[in-house]
Amino acid sequence: MRVDLIDRLMQASGLCIRFFVYCTLMLPAVIVVAASLTADNTMAFPPAGLSWRWYSAAVDSPQFMGALWASVRLASVATCLSMLLGFCSAFAINRYRFPGRNQFQTLALSPLVVPMVVLGLGLLQFFAWIGLNQSYVGLLIGHTLIMLPYVVRTLGTGLALLDRTLEEAAQNLRARPLTVIRKVTLPLMLPSLISAAVFAFVTSFGNVTLSVFLGMTGTVTLPVQIFTYVESSYDPILAAVSGIVIAVTLLIILAIERLVGVSRIV
Amino acid sequence: MNETTAPAAGPGAERICGIPKWLLLVAPAAALLAAFLVAPLVGLVRTSLYPGPTSFESTGWSLAQYRDFFSDWYFVDVLFQTFRIGVIVSVISLVLGFPVGYSLARLPPAQRRWRLIFVILPLTLSLVVVVFGWLVVLGRNGIVNAALTGLGIVESPQRLLFTEGAVILVLVQQFLPFMILSVMSVVSQIDPVLEQAAANLRANRFVTFRRVILPLAMPGILSGMTLVFILTISAFITPRLIGGNQIQMLGNIIYEQIVVLLRWPFGAAMSLVLLVITLITITAVNGYVARRFMTPRSREHAR
Repeated sequence: MRVDLIDRLMQASGLCIRFFVYCTLMLPAVIVVAASLTADNTMAFPPAGLSWRWYSAAVDSPQFMGALWASVRLASVATCLSMLLGFCSAFAINRYRFPGRNQFQTLALSPLVVPMVVLGLGLLQFFAWIGLNQSYVGLLIGHTLIMLPYVVRTLGTGLALLDRTLEEAAQNLRARPLTVIRKVTLPLMLPSLISAAVFAFVTSFGNVTLSVFLGMTGTVTLPVQIFTYVESSYDPILAAVSGIVIAVTLLIILAIERLVGVSRIV
Repeated sequence: MNETTAPAAGPGAERICGIPKWLLLVAPAAALLAAFLVAPLVGLVRTSLYPGPTSFESTGWSLAQYRDFFSDWYFVDVLFQTFRIGVIVSVISLVLGFPVGYSLARLPPAQRRWRLIFVILPLTLSLVVVVFGWLVVLGRNGIVNAALTGLGIVESPQRLLFTEGAVILVLVQQFLPFMILSVMSVVSQIDPVLEQAAANLRANRFVTFRRVILPLAMPGILSGMTLVFILTISAFITPRLIGGNQIQMLGNIIYEQIVVLLRWPFGAAMSLVLLVITLITITAVNGYVARRFMTPRSREHAR
């Protein structure tokens, strides 16, 4: 039959494309991990032997470990800030009709569409004007800003799917509004809250496109440290540091997959 | 978001100390966005209108920066090159991303899980780590060259980095997940019954794809392509590290003008050109999708 041939062709090409895509998507991460385990002094292929020496070199390097902790601290604080602001915004957008509601929603989601290089330059110049340049606060503000759209969107979806009758039941039992939020709304929202927080954290932890403008000499985050290092030279210690970043990111994704299911964060 | 969930009572129904509750909730985020998103962009507009080469002790207003940009063939070429790469990357992302997104939407959850992790990891992994991985893959002593020379296909290591192909490859790998997820979310809303019905009417897969799936998936395809396009034209880390001095895109030229050459007014003007192109693209596509694919009823629903 004629149709069979086309069906088979499409099936086969689909299979090939999917295989190719999954391989390509994973290739950089797999190669970095493979390269980081070399025993050699350079990153030639195939590696000269297996060893953990570059990982111990990376862990002993104050330059990289300082940047790693700076990244973790920054991402944690920025996540808390953006979750707080994002929950209030999403709650207001979902529960109240107020003048400028649509405009506010567009504005809250807009850091997503402003090119990072434009936002980075704008903030760099603005912080220089108000005396916040190269400061930790500036970096924190920038990161909070770029996380906000993810948080507002994820929590907005969560709130829209929430069963309001449970809140009304609590109100009928004379629970005060804050008690309702604390005892009913927040626990029901837990999956959304977790996925928003985790995605915000990972976004901030890996961000280089904004940090490179705001934190060159002040607080240096790990991605920026890798960027400045890779511009001049690259050796296996960089692969080991990148391996640590991959491990952290993968662990976080696996944890969220266990907790709430990975399809929630997309 | 669905407006019907909002209470029927209008604004100002609930107040704390005379201030409407919604205002208290919105104010912190609105203040942050106004002060650190809107104000910096307005600042960039101001700087781009300085007449001189630096913004230091500059005064006056002029369109000189924009004139310089559009009258210099070098920069106009870069603009076209950036556009071209943006289109190429989004088309390749569509061709590669559609089958993956479609199959993800149709897979049972258990099989979907690991594949989804494969898609999300590159999305959340730091961009520098991804680019560094590609440097190792494509470098002079990288695995591709090692494989090529090892198999005797080429005599000596080839220059793979600093080519347009390499930049496009790396950009596609970075932004493909956005396309995949966009297609996945729209296809998972298409009822499989429609495909079975088409198959019962003796349509083969291709006809089903062209006549049933493609039209229904079009909003997702367009939004995915738009996202990939605007991310590509504003990329600067990838062209800088993978393209070196050979491949210039708008993003890395802006970075260079400001961070290396400190030509703030000119860099500000270029970044505003980039911002305007981005906003026009998004508005045009959103408007088209709204006009073409939403019935009046669904438009009301989506609002």
